[in-house]
Amino acid sequence: MISDITFGQYYPAKSVLHKADPRIKLLLTFLMIVFLFVCKNFFSLAVMVFVTVLATVFSGVPFKVILKSIRPVLVILIFTTFLNIFYTKGGTVYFEFWKFSVTEKGINNAVFTVIRIITLVVLSSLLTYTTTPTDLTTGLERLLSPLNLIHIKVHTLAMMMTLALRFIPTLIEETERIMNAQKARGADLETGSLIQRAKALIPIFVPLMVSSFRRAYELAFAMTCRCYTGGEGRTRMKQMKLSARDFVLLALCLIACAGVIVLNIFFEPVI
Amino acid sequence: MNCAIEIRNLSHLYSPGTPSQVTALKDINLRIGHGEILGIIGHTGSGKSTLISHFNGLLKPSSGTVLVDGEDIHKDKETLRSSRFKVGLCFQYPEYQLFEETVFKDIAFGPKNMKLSDDEIKQRVLRAAQYTGVPEEMLEKSPFDLSGGEKRRVAIAGVMAMEPQVLVFDEPAAGLDPSGRKALINLIKDYHKKTGCTVIVVSHSMEDIARLADRLIVINGGTIAMDGSLHDVFSRSEELAGMGLDVPEVTKIFAQIRERGFDVPLDVYSVEYAEKTILSMLEGGNVQ
Repeated sequence: MISDITFGQYYPAKSVLHKADPRIKLLLTFLMIVFLFVCKNFFSLAVMVFVTVLATVFSGVPFKVILKSIRPVLVILIFTTFLNIFYTKGGTVYFEFWKFSVTEKGINNAVFTVIRIITLVVLSSLLTYTTTPTDLTTGLERLLSPLNLIHIKVHTLAMMMTLALRFIPTLIEETERIMNAQKARGADLETGSLIQRAKALIPIFVPLMVSSFRRAYELAFAMTCRCYTGGEGRTRMKQMKLSARDFVLLALCLIACAGVIVLNIFFEPVI
Repeated sequence: MNCAIEIRNLSHLYSPGTPSQVTALKDINLRIGHGEILGIIGHTGSGKSTLISHFNGLLKPSSGTVLVDGEDIHKDKETLRSSRFKVGLCFQYPEYQLFEETVFKDIAFGPKNMKLSDDEIKQRVLRAAQYTGVPEEMLEKSPFDLSGGEKRRVAIAGVMAMEPQVLVFDEPAAGLDPSGRKALINLIKDYHKKTGCTVIVVSHSMEDIARLADRLIVINGGTIAMDGSLHDVFSRSEELAGMGLDVPEVTKIFAQIRERGFDVPLDVYSVEYAEKTILSMLEGGNVQ
């Protein structure tokens, strides 16, 4: 059913990563992803994999849930593996037929890319698993606040994002209600040609738009009533504060980055 | 004779097989006869809305069967579809389902889905407009230009225009002012008198229910806790209170009058009846 669509995949738990400052988490995820692409051989990649595994263990998110995040990229994984194996040439040739050849470099490339993509997906989903959407947008707002200097209204953008996230479940519920009401009047949503089905959406779409606008007006009114005037001079109920925990995380990640650079220098690049 | 709606051993689970599985309805058995006015009461989350969504097959039962006019509605796609027209469902705040350019077209949406002829559609729209007190000049207006109460009437007309054998209302008077409330309750009553179809009303307002229904069922925790006449149900006020429900205000007042030593009946559920009772007592000289 429609309500099964999960958006924002926060997994509630009480782990080190859950408690960490969202700004640090955002920065570190970004840093780790960049360094994932700095890796040039399996040794430096192993450092990144180690960091990711460590983070997964300490995130308190069950392994099964993490696996679920990989499923959507499965097609991409298979596709890139296929391309890498058959189209990269170089090194020892293991196997050959017609125009294709499976080479050492091809296999290396394939394995490397698969590990890299999986690590990338796991790292970024760890961020969303351990950070609520609200914390995420607040963190982003604070990190991007220097953009205010060049007159980009970061607060407004962040507020819009928060509101959008907040209203997704409400709108899903509303859609379901309207769908039921129209179905009760005999609306047929399941059969017919593509054009017929598109037309059948009008009775759902129009009321949904109308009620979204109504909600937006009501919300704007309620916010104005509580003297909301935008980001200027606005204080926060929950102040974000860096703690010792955040600096430890930062230090660990920096050590890993240093390790990646060192191993890149000491060992032959494979990619 | 066939029942208008018969429900046999119906159970409904939400998100079965997941950790968030909830039993919304448990082994419901219910027979609703032709021409009845049935009231359904129960506190929020008791399963009332889930139950009425089964009447026209919007939900599929986890187990058990729903018979409309003696026919299992989940037998095949055709029966399911025709059950939507046999049982008209009017949801809470139905005005949010309006979408057409004109009131006429919106009321015609249901009959159009029934694939009726244009002539028949027009007749049905006019009839439904008449039942709901929608004046003819309003039919060419946009539904979005109407007032809240007018929109509600138009939306109800949209369901009535399908001329279902059973008409189900979920909180029909929610959010209306007292006079709008009264008018709507009378409208439903008149409709029932004129067409003789089965009417089912779900409400939190004991007053509305008392004014409308002949028979009352109480849903609590996904099961039918009580099923009987108004008198049967409202005479068990203590049990009702235990389920987070109540009896009509006027009934409570009469109970208090009796406590003070006056011999008044306890089965008074509407203000009109209360008025009559008191007047007849005054005329009879029973009261000093």
